[in-house]
Amino acid sequence: MKLITCLSRILGSALFSLWIGLVFCPPPLSSQERFRKTPPSPEPLSELRLPSLEPARLSNGLTLAVAYRENCPITSLQLIILAGESDSPEKVPGVATLAAHLLPRGTQMLSSSDIEEIIESIGGNFSHSTSLDYSFFTFNFLEEYLDQALEILSKMILQPVFLETELENEKRNLFYDLLEKGRDADFVARRLLLRILLGKHPYQKSIFNEDVIKNIKQKDILDFFDKFYRPNNAILILTGNLNLTTATRKVSHYLNTWQKKDLDRPFLPAAEPNEKEKICFVDIPQAKDSTIYLGNISLPITSPDFFPFLVLNQVLGGTPISRLFMNLRESKGYAYYAFSEAEFYKSCGIFLVSAKVTPEASYTSIQEILKEISGVVQEKISNFEIEQAKSSLIGNFPLSIEKYDHFSSQISKIIAFNLGEEHWGKYYENIMLVDSEKVFEVAQLYHLTTPVVVIAGSKNNVIDFLRAFEKIEVYNSKGIFQYNITKGGGE
Amino acid sequence: MTKKSFLVWNLLFFSFWGISLGEMQAQKDLSFPVSQYKLKNGLQVILSEENSLPLVSVVVAYNVGAINEVPGKTGLAYLLQNLMFQGSENISQMQHVRFINRIGGQLNATTTSDSTLFYQTVPSNQLALVLWLESDRMKSLDLNVPTVERTKLTIIEEIRQRKANEPYLESSLAFDVLLYPDFAYNHSLIGNEEDVANITLEDVVDFYSTYYVPNNAVLCITGNINKAKTKELVSRYFETIPRGKEIPSLLPPKPVEKKPIMKTFTDSLAPSPGFHLAYRMAPPQSDDFYALTILDYLLFRGKSSRLYKRLFKKERIVVDFSGTIERRKNIAAYKMFAMNNNEIMVDRCQKAIFSELDKLKSAFVSEAELKKVKNMFKMDYLEQFSTCQDKAIFLCEFHLAQLNLEALPAELDKYLQVTPAAIIGIANRYFTEENSVLLNIKIR
Repeated sequence: MKLITCLSRILGSALFSLWIGLVFCPPPLSSQERFRKTPPSPEPLSELRLPSLEPARLSNGLTLAVAYRENCPITSLQLIILAGESDSPEKVPGVATLAAHLLPRGTQMLSSSDIEEIIESIGGNFSHSTSLDYSFFTFNFLEEYLDQALEILSKMILQPVFLETELENEKRNLFYDLLEKGRDADFVARRLLLRILLGKHPYQKSIFNEDVIKNIKQKDILDFFDKFYRPNNAILILTGNLNLTTATRKVSHYLNTWQKKDLDRPFLPAAEPNEKEKICFVDIPQAKDSTIYLGNISLPITSPDFFPFLVLNQVLGGTPISRLFMNLRESKGYAYYAFSEAEFYKSCGIFLVSAKVTPEASYTSIQEILKEISGVVQEKISNFEIEQAKSSLIGNFPLSIEKYDHFSSQISKIIAFNLGEEHWGKYYENIMLVDSEKVFEVAQLYHLTTPVVVIAGSKNNVIDFLRAFEKIEVYNSKGIFQYNITKGGGE
Repeated sequence: MTKKSFLVWNLLFFSFWGISLGEMQAQKDLSFPVSQYKLKNGLQVILSEENSLPLVSVVVAYNVGAINEVPGKTGLAYLLQNLMFQGSENISQMQHVRFINRIGGQLNATTTSDSTLFYQTVPSNQLALVLWLESDRMKSLDLNVPTVERTKLTIIEEIRQRKANEPYLESSLAFDVLLYPDFAYNHSLIGNEEDVANITLEDVVDFYSTYYVPNNAVLCITGNINKAKTKELVSRYFETIPRGKEIPSLLPPKPVEKKPIMKTFTDSLAPSPGFHLAYRMAPPQSDDFYALTILDYLLFRGKSSRLYKRLFKKERIVVDFSGTIERRKNIAAYKMFAMNNNEIMVDRCQKAIFSELDKLKSAFVSEAELKKVKNMFKMDYLEQFSTCQDKAIFLCEFHLAQLNLEALPAELDKYLQVTPAAIIGIANRYFTEENSVLLNIKIR
């Protein structure tokens, strides 16, 4: 039984404010050693030494990189195909996702069960994810089985079959998965927010619902694979106890017959930010609480504002000691949680705030969130808060790359987005350079104060508490517009 | 510095500080260094240095869990886990969490049937802060009526939520009572609502002062540490915490009557029929446990495991199925749970499982299959050392299981040396009708 679930309720309870005065009264100090009375000062920050990334390009155009990790008995392989959901055909969203699902589901000689058996026989696990920009495959296995891992990977890439039966299985799985998620207020609110924000941008294709799955045909998968799954459109990263020379020899041996093909990825236009606050509601009848998602288009991952924006987000809502959390949960007691996130993609980023609040606090919570956002846009953040946020980001960075697969996933992003080794090797310095002035400057640039606001909850419980808004657009759980509610008026 | 001279240096160091000795240097074939020693107050300390990243993990594990609760006081262990974040003499409510967040660290806590662990990973320059936080709540937890009552209400709400929303929870608790006849092993970890409501401040203080004492705990620090400095810090923060009274010993589990148990239970939240099935096993300290663990992988782990292939792929007779070894201190069992579409499928599913278990009793597992499951096990085993925190948790659990750290380097090999004959042997010994407990679940 873990702590976090319980804590979320402890501080969310109304009783918290009742007892806070009692609890914060310091108990009488018995005689104790002086050093126990105050927290000790930290030692100087230890140096962060990261392995350099060794990239190479094979004759067929495949980019290969190795990140050496001493004494690591597990090798992590990341294959990145530089095509994601934004590359799915206009009328058939979901193709990139299904192509990734189907890669380990059979080759000319091996069934999907055979592949599972081979992967497990080397202690391995294979997973995939499809983002707006790219498709990522992660294959972790015992270090002594590099040959077997590359062999099975090469069979998946060089001899895929995309059988109709497997396609239908995967379509069914994806359909039911999305159907199930469609009952989850959190998922529904986030999906609607992204759908509205991304408008007609190619990234909008990633926000599909279960109804589009049936439109995907085997030919769509084959065409997508033929076009994008090419060595000159892929990056392979190996992390573990090995060097580039060995890796190059072995990867070439298994993947040298992977044929390159010229391709043009269409230029991704910048997404337009929302310029006027917009309030949307989705009815989730079974939801007890009110789930709020609000946000706007922000900066792409390659922006020079990346690091100041990270610090800004950290101050506003990146942790349980950030402004949003301290206000909505600790001070007002409206929320179970309230955080902000900064997601970064190739063409743009998404800045968003998420909070789960009691239904009666829906309107006031949104007002408080907007007030906190305005706070960082209109007034410079104190140096104390900036330094605290920087210290938290710097402290957390090594934690975020400690596990071997997180480490290789981080490297994948750096290479795929072409961020340069400095993004990685100089993380501490990049954060240290951020100051209050720079954060204030960046806060002005990204339309943070005119977000799209989505509230998901039971209409019967929530809607009366939202009547103070001038206009509310009501959507169904699939994100289809239904009608407007206006202040003082009806539906 | 050679290993020998290092050991001498340690002896001198502890002699100087007057700390009881018992320093153990890890054997050279361990892939990571481990040393351990005990403070005068009985606190066991384990250190493991690993310098690849500037991180340190601190785990404090108390040798107490739900099995230490008495009838009428269930939920005490979990309640106390939560109270450990509600402030101590020098640290106010939830300040522990805020300190760790502020420096970018991570923390959590967990209560099991036989242990309670508190863990955090922080930048290595902040080790002293974590030791300050952990020692303060070990030394002087601030227990008072308002805090206890507030935390009880939160837990009662959690119990209600779980009871109202978790299908098969009722049947699962009923099954534990059939499988483990002793109260200590068979009651709900989170506690029952009435018991938690009746827990008094006195109960909590008594539980804390009995079990949350240095002589019932292990402190493990792993990561980017300087050993000498770390020992100095450990001494500073933990040495003067008074030793507690002798820890009450647990009654050994009652011998189980050798006869099959088969019952039926109506679960009010179950959407479909199904069943819980278990086989009682050797205690976790037994040598049989190595083969039993490999067998766990062969039967249950991964999509190429025997039961996954049979139940999901070949016969398609389950909606959901899971199985694993469950250990509760000195006892263990293979536990399985299946959810089926209807009663006919329940029957077919049970027959399929019995048939797979019977196969194991007479036919040798092929070398290839055994190699596969050993590799799966090896991967999971090695994963336990892939972060400082995982390693520290592993070392604490290893110690609490009363295993000798000196034996750690040879531990993995014992699993990898399991033979097909050993599998046949244990299948015949443990997968017997008289060893089985079956609870069929009916829907309301």
